[in-house]
Amino acid sequence: MRYIRSMTVGVLTLGALLLGGGNVRAESVLNVGMAAADLGSLDPHRTATTPDKAIIGWMFNGLVRFKPGTMNPESIEPDLAESWDTSPDQLTWTFHLRKGVQCNNGYGELTSDDVVFSLKRAADPKVSSFSSDFADFASIEAMDAYTVTIKLKQRPPSLLGILTNYQGGNIVCKKAVEKLGDDFRTKAVGTGPFAFAEYTPNQSITLVANKNYFRGAPKIDKIVYRYIPSDATRDLAYTSGEIDLIYGRQDQVWAERMKSDPHTVVDVFGPGELSDMNLDITKKPLDDLRVRQAIAYAVNRAELVKFKGALTAREAVSIIPHDYLGTDEHAPLYPYDPEKAKQLLAAAGFANGVTIKAIQTTLPSMLNTMQIVQAQLKKVGIDLQLEVVDHPTFHAQIRKDLSQVVMYAAARLPVADVYLTQFYHSRSIVGTPTAVTNFSHCGMADAEIDGARTATDSAKQKELWKKAQDILVEQVCAVPLYEQLQVWAHRDKLDYGYKLDASLTLGPIVNETSTLK
Amino acid sequence: MLTYIVKRLLVGVPTLLAVLTVVFFFVRIAPGDPAFIILGDQASPQALAAVRHDLGLDQPMLAQYADFMAMVLRGDLGNSLVTHQSVWGEVAKVLPYTIELTLTALAIGTVLGLPLGVLAARRRNEFIDYAARFLSLLGLSFPAFVSAILLLLAFAIELRWFPVISEARANDPMSRLSALALPAVNLGLIMVAYVMRVARSSMLGVLGEDYIRTARSKGVPAGIVVWRHALRNALIPVVTVVGLYLGVLIGNSVLTEIVFNRPGLGKLIVNALNQRDYTMLEGLMVIYAFFIVIANLLTDLTYGMVDPRVKHQ
Repeated sequence: MRYIRSMTVGVLTLGALLLGGGNVRAESVLNVGMAAADLGSLDPHRTATTPDKAIIGWMFNGLVRFKPGTMNPESIEPDLAESWDTSPDQLTWTFHLRKGVQCNNGYGELTSDDVVFSLKRAADPKVSSFSSDFADFASIEAMDAYTVTIKLKQRPPSLLGILTNYQGGNIVCKKAVEKLGDDFRTKAVGTGPFAFAEYTPNQSITLVANKNYFRGAPKIDKIVYRYIPSDATRDLAYTSGEIDLIYGRQDQVWAERMKSDPHTVVDVFGPGELSDMNLDITKKPLDDLRVRQAIAYAVNRAELVKFKGALTAREAVSIIPHDYLGTDEHAPLYPYDPEKAKQLLAAAGFANGVTIKAIQTTLPSMLNTMQIVQAQLKKVGIDLQLEVVDHPTFHAQIRKDLSQVVMYAAARLPVADVYLTQFYHSRSIVGTPTAVTNFSHCGMADAEIDGARTATDSAKQKELWKKAQDILVEQVCAVPLYEQLQVWAHRDKLDYGYKLDASLTLGPIVNETSTLK
Repeated sequence: MLTYIVKRLLVGVPTLLAVLTVVFFFVRIAPGDPAFIILGDQASPQALAAVRHDLGLDQPMLAQYADFMAMVLRGDLGNSLVTHQSVWGEVAKVLPYTIELTLTALAIGTVLGLPLGVLAARRRNEFIDYAARFLSLLGLSFPAFVSAILLLLAFAIELRWFPVISEARANDPMSRLSALALPAVNLGLIMVAYVMRVARSSMLGVLGEDYIRTARSKGVPAGIVVWRHALRNALIPVVTVVGLYLGVLIGNSVLTEIVFNRPGLGKLIVNALNQRDYTMLEGLMVIYAFFIVIANLLTDLTYGMVDPRVKHQ
């Protein structure tokens, strides 16, 4: 009898313990599906591709940051730096770091040593893809454990823009870089809300929440970022519930299909990657302004947006993307006027038509745009011949100046200077030692671009940028087409914690405010 | 027999070296700059030059070739230009998955295709023959990635027997098996189509021979006529097709690997191509060529087993 009683008590106690232990919260795991075969690099100073950029946005901080969900340079706020002072000539900046910020994976407190190391690394062309952003930096020094002073050779248009949690501005932990060496590529360490946990090549990468994050512990415990290159498989995985956040297709049909599901929210957000048709003004017949103007009049932007779908695309407003600091939202773009185009061609001596050759990539979204433009130009007598090659070949050949017309799609730091300098300043002309992406060989707005760079008055700066855009638009260095927005989708149980209007990482920011119901 | 195998393998070595040479020059002639792909389109020319120097790409072509051949003859396939991991290491990680997929697909294809072909030949122009030929036509005309997606829709979404994304963990045989099932069925069914056609037409040819008529008139039971006498003679073309297809399967599995999210040699090759990862491509091509050599050797040895007239010295 006593035996049975003690057994019963034992069993009941065990039961109570097990049930009582059940009030531990189940782990909250966010499964993400990305269109990539594998990780490229987690090193924020190297990584160039969209799939990698999204994940970096969850792992690193900058001295300052864009307010989550925006990319407006006027909304930049403190991140690793609590405050900063500048000298009157704005050539010396002193940043005061937050105390007690921890590097992930046990690498200790973040100090000015890490910041100096990180910025110098980002400025080093041997290691960084973004070293040219730091061309104006003269010196970076640690004054004490929590103070960093940056001296500039001349004022960049937005120093804070360079120091945000974007590209070279992401701060990496010095001891981790030194210890991991080459392994840093797959095990990078920063100070962000999520830290690297595990990487299975070709399959997935797992991040865990940084419980010591200085803005508060994330409410999501784990993120599993799955590499699913096949669009169909990714969609099926979303349907079956195996992933809750999916990298979408910049495609109207896809967006509409996803929208029709009551539990799915489609995210369409900036930056809009601007598709530009760059015209090489040094090659006949494009050296004649009238021919370039004819091309501009022949292109029908509204028709292109209609084809791409109004949900995910919008017409270009200028030769740089809309909503950048300094964009002329009402730039004098040539309107659609095929009759005018024909008249100009006739005046230039091409009444019977003209042939232009372009090297074009097989990438479907860029190819079908050019095919539509080809059809539009044909109507006015311009024969645009496309030589279609694969993507890496395309990038190599256009930089060797082999194409008269270069269709390029890009977004940059949202300050007019960056786009204008990289695409329309004479020192960026392809084939030169300082080449970037100036395919048009234009240089007529150099004075305005340089002037805006060094202007101390922001109103004068905007005025000079506007003038530069007006000149370049009028001279038709490029025909701006449309802007393609970023498209993702998520199940309604995921809440980012902020309104997603734009994200420079090209993916949603998942941080300490995000929750998974 | 052993000397025959050793001789065949030795003859394979110059083949591999020739493949290596051709691939080496061809990939470097194709336009596209690995440094640009690694660093992205905002990198400065100095950064690009620095990476090219690190990777040894600024040396003259013949110097690069000499360096590379020296490395290979030491037994080292080099490191990937993109990940800096050893080529052999990356291949070794995915090889088990490719081999298990290839062999399973081969097994499904042969085990189902051979009897089906024999049956279709025996019951020529009856319903089963028409059904088999129709299904085989379907199998031959369906692109692998379409059938893969259909399989996913049916078994992962509708029936929920498998997850859409199967993570095959190396130490867990059950997960490996579950991740193998649908891809192997996909490739296996396509192979059934090939094997069935060849088996059928070969069988038909043999069944019309004089010695078969003799065996039948002697009163030998129909089953023994078909399965013991006719089949062995009909097997040679089937072995040829299976052997050829084995080589094709290793590379052609890439679409199946992409849809089912499976690591594999095919996917590695396609990625290396897109990234202009020269060292990886060279290493992969050599390994692929090596597999073809082995597949051909196995095919020849199988002839010896099937046909006693074939002697290997």
